[in-house]
Amino acid sequence: MRFEQWLYAIPLRFRSLFRRDAVENELDDELQFHLERKTQHYVTAGLSPEDARRHAVRDMEGMELRKEQCRDARRVNRFEDFIKDLRFSLRTLRKSPGFTAAAVLTLALGIGANAAIFSVVNAVLLRSLPYPDSNRILTLSSRDSLPDVEDIQKRTQSFAAIGGITSQALDFTGEGEPVQIFAGLCNAEFFGALGIQPALGRPFSVAEDSYGGPALVLLTHGFWTRHFGGDSAIVGRTIRLSGNSYTVIGVLPREFWLPGRPVDVLVSLRVVNPGAGKFRGVHFLRTYFRLKTGISLAQAGAEMKSMDRWLEENYPEENRDFHRRLLPLRDSIIGDVRPELLVLSAAVGLVLLIACVNFASLQLARSATRRHEIAIRSALGAPSGRLIRQMLTESVLLSFLGGAAGLVLAAVGVRLLMALKPSGLPRIADTSIDTRVLGFTFAVSLLTGIVFGMVPAFNAALVGTRLKENSRTTAGGGSGFRIRKILVIAEFALALVLLIGAGLMIRSFTLMHRVDPGFRADSVLTMRVELPEARYREFPQQRQFHRQLLESFNSIPGAQAGMISELPMSGDYITHNFVIEGRPPLTPGSEPEVQTRTIAGDYFRVMGIPLLTGRDFGVQDRTGSQHVAIVNRSFVAQYFPGQDALGARVEWARSDPPDWMTIVGVVGDVKHFGPDQPEEPAVYDLYSQTAQQWKRWMYVTLHSNTSAGSLLAEAKQRLWAIDNQLPLTQVSTMNEVLAASLDRQRFNLTLLGIFASVAFALAMVGIYGVMSYAITQRTNEIGIRVALGAQRKDILRLILVQGARLAFLGGTLGVASSLLLTRYMSHLLFAVGPRDPQTFVAIPFALFAVGLLACYVPARRAMHVDPIVALRYE
Amino acid sequence: MSKPSDLVQGTLDLLLLKILALEPLNGFAVSIRLKQVSGDVLQVSDGSLYPALHKLEQEGWIKAEWRPSENNRRAKFYSLTRLGRRHLEREAANWSRLSAAISHVVKLEEA
Repeated sequence: MRFEQWLYAIPLRFRSLFRRDAVENELDDELQFHLERKTQHYVTAGLSPEDARRHAVRDMEGMELRKEQCRDARRVNRFEDFIKDLRFSLRTLRKSPGFTAAAVLTLALGIGANAAIFSVVNAVLLRSLPYPDSNRILTLSSRDSLPDVEDIQKRTQSFAAIGGITSQALDFTGEGEPVQIFAGLCNAEFFGALGIQPALGRPFSVAEDSYGGPALVLLTHGFWTRHFGGDSAIVGRTIRLSGNSYTVIGVLPREFWLPGRPVDVLVSLRVVNPGAGKFRGVHFLRTYFRLKTGISLAQAGAEMKSMDRWLEENYPEENRDFHRRLLPLRDSIIGDVRPELLVLSAAVGLVLLIACVNFASLQLARSATRRHEIAIRSALGAPSGRLIRQMLTESVLLSFLGGAAGLVLAAVGVRLLMALKPSGLPRIADTSIDTRVLGFTFAVSLLTGIVFGMVPAFNAALVGTRLKENSRTTAGGGSGFRIRKILVIAEFALALVLLIGAGLMIRSFTLMHRVDPGFRADSVLTMRVELPEARYREFPQQRQFHRQLLESFNSIPGAQAGMISELPMSGDYITHNFVIEGRPPLTPGSEPEVQTRTIAGDYFRVMGIPLLTGRDFGVQDRTGSQHVAIVNRSFVAQYFPGQDALGARVEWARSDPPDWMTIVGVVGDVKHFGPDQPEEPAVYDLYSQTAQQWKRWMYVTLHSNTSAGSLLAEAKQRLWAIDNQLPLTQVSTMNEVLAASLDRQRFNLTLLGIFASVAFALAMVGIYGVMSYAITQRTNEIGIRVALGAQRKDILRLILVQGARLAFLGGTLGVASSLLLTRYMSHLLFAVGPRDPQTFVAIPFALFAVGLLACYVPARRAMHVDPIVALRYE
Repeated sequence: MSKPSDLVQGTLDLLLLKILALEPLNGFAVSIRLKQVSGDVLQVSDGSLYPALHKLEQEGWIKAEWRPSENNRRAKFYSLTRLGRRHLEREAANWSRLSAAISHVVKLEEA
């Protein structure tokens, strides 16, 4: 239609839509008018009024038909029909509440689970990072040192800004108890690199970020609200951190987020840690590079490679074999999480598929009972296209209801997911149901309604045209039944895939759980203490503290105390390059690295780490006496294979002056990084003998057979008796620490377990439904068989065989699919192969058995069919 | 007498538009007038009339308003729109060309 025509048409269509009653009345009036005039015309022509009227009516050749044609001409039919279908669907759904509830619930489970997982995937993987132009921010795959970063800044052209940051614990002595907070120590360019604009105030400038520069601090939004109540006059005030005064120059926006450990404040790196610039070999800075416009990742990578070479040539000791790899920040954050989330997404997709299959099956069952109604409507002239459209509308309506209910479930589900505390999933803390999730749910609902409503709709329409079926029971039940059988087989297969996946995860988890961590986790309390620099700058002060603390704790009746600088499973670790006395010298920078831990007190005894040979540290090992070290079994295996390590001497590479330690004992290995991580060679030295003044923190470990609560209270009291300004952090039992290391696995397992359970329940309901239906259909046949002499148990066998066949086909399909698919989850598994035979045998058997049980219940009904009733009932 | 159902829909549209071009009328009057002016040759059946009129209205060729007719009974009167007038001219021209061509062919001498 041409444009001007629309000017006339649109008001008409609006009127037809929104003033439908008025328009209908007008149509009636118009046709009535015509009839009256026609009647008059016949009367003047000589007919009697009744004859005239009859002729007039006949001339119209069907009033209703003409009215319908006029309505067609008004071309709002599509929409009107849709509204009509919608109302009709609502009515019919209300009339069968059981079906509606079942269908909506099934879909709500499937769609809800998907929406929940999608929310997580969206929050973690899909959302862009909360920085402007975040895809132009790169980072290095490992940390670097400040002198190196300074050189990179000076000698490269690809970057608009290079930021570096590290975090450090500081004590905030505002009001009351000193609180340990985490400060981010960054350079001035850090703000430019990430594109961070303070909400209040300003960042510090390049001039201010210098050695001896002013003590300035920016607060994060959370810190500002927690401790200063969001006071807008905060800029310019001073706060005290670890004994020093800092002036607040700004507050960060609420959305500020950093990968890694969250920080409470930001301070200048060079001001707070002036020593940072001296150690080229200490790689402690996270780096962020913002690409200049027009520069590509490839160009920047090439420039970084030449920087590598330059640094290696000029500073070989610290930079030999240290290769810097530039990658987009996003990849470094989500890198190893992506495969895991994809597996979970696939799993939840299977659940949705099963739910949809159940949905289609329910509809098929229902459409079979509506055959009569459809046949009549078809005979009254409804074109099959119209019927199909109506059934699709009903299906889509159901799926939208399911989607809406699913969203509610998803919101609840996301809360529960958070409560599982999945560690290691970045940015999951602010998962929400946002527009993307809504859009996703909407799309899934629509698709489900259309795709899985298609089969029953077509089936119903085709069947309906066969009006001659006047009996409700036909042997077998026709094509609808066959489709349902196929659907059940599919459901079984899908459920089996999920169950096998969950089973593998369960086995993996139990194996991981049983791994001996190398230490005793029961009855061990642990806490972290960090000595503030202001009062504990020198060794004597630190050592006095250690002595006092251990004495005090050891005097708690029944307790033993020890300390270590990096607690197992804490994620903390330090390595050193080292040399063994008497071995051929190696080029500087290429000496082997080893894990190092500094301990004090009865650490090994407290943690139950076995002493294999030699002796433990004792009172004879103190400041001033011969320096000693203890190594672990892996160390001996790697560096002293087949030899005795006792008496050998080691020192940290390039120690100046030389500081040799004699190995006096060998202890068992500890799984420092997690139950599924390999053990690494480690060297233990003593706090009292170490030259590392900056190691002012420690994890105190306490073993006692008293309850943890009272032990903790006692420990706190004694600690604060020594120094009442020391904050305690990370207080927990070793059991909790151990459990936390399994958090990620537990999370995956819980999710997969939930999905598998839902799938299992749906599959059982599916097969139950199909078998029930089959039996209803075959009531006649069963009656005949019984009348002909079949025993109850023959009938039972008959039904069970039918059910078993379905279950067996489904099971075989499921096992075959699992064999193909589980390889994609192999990296989630620990000590269990993706084709673990135990799982692949046990679970299909279990599913088959329960499936048979699900058939047994309706089969019992079949057994008690009264032949006379069956034969009479037609 | 040609039966109205032999008329192609487009031709019916043309006729209705022309009748309404002469004078705004209600549906019944249109069918009477058509019969009159065609000398009883062209009759549109009551059943086809109103769907056709409604379609023309939807296309924007004619517009409708309710007016009182004789004996104060109100009726729906249709009249041509400006667009409809232009469309009528175009279709009338097409029809002339078409019918001239058909006449020409039909009048050809058989050998």
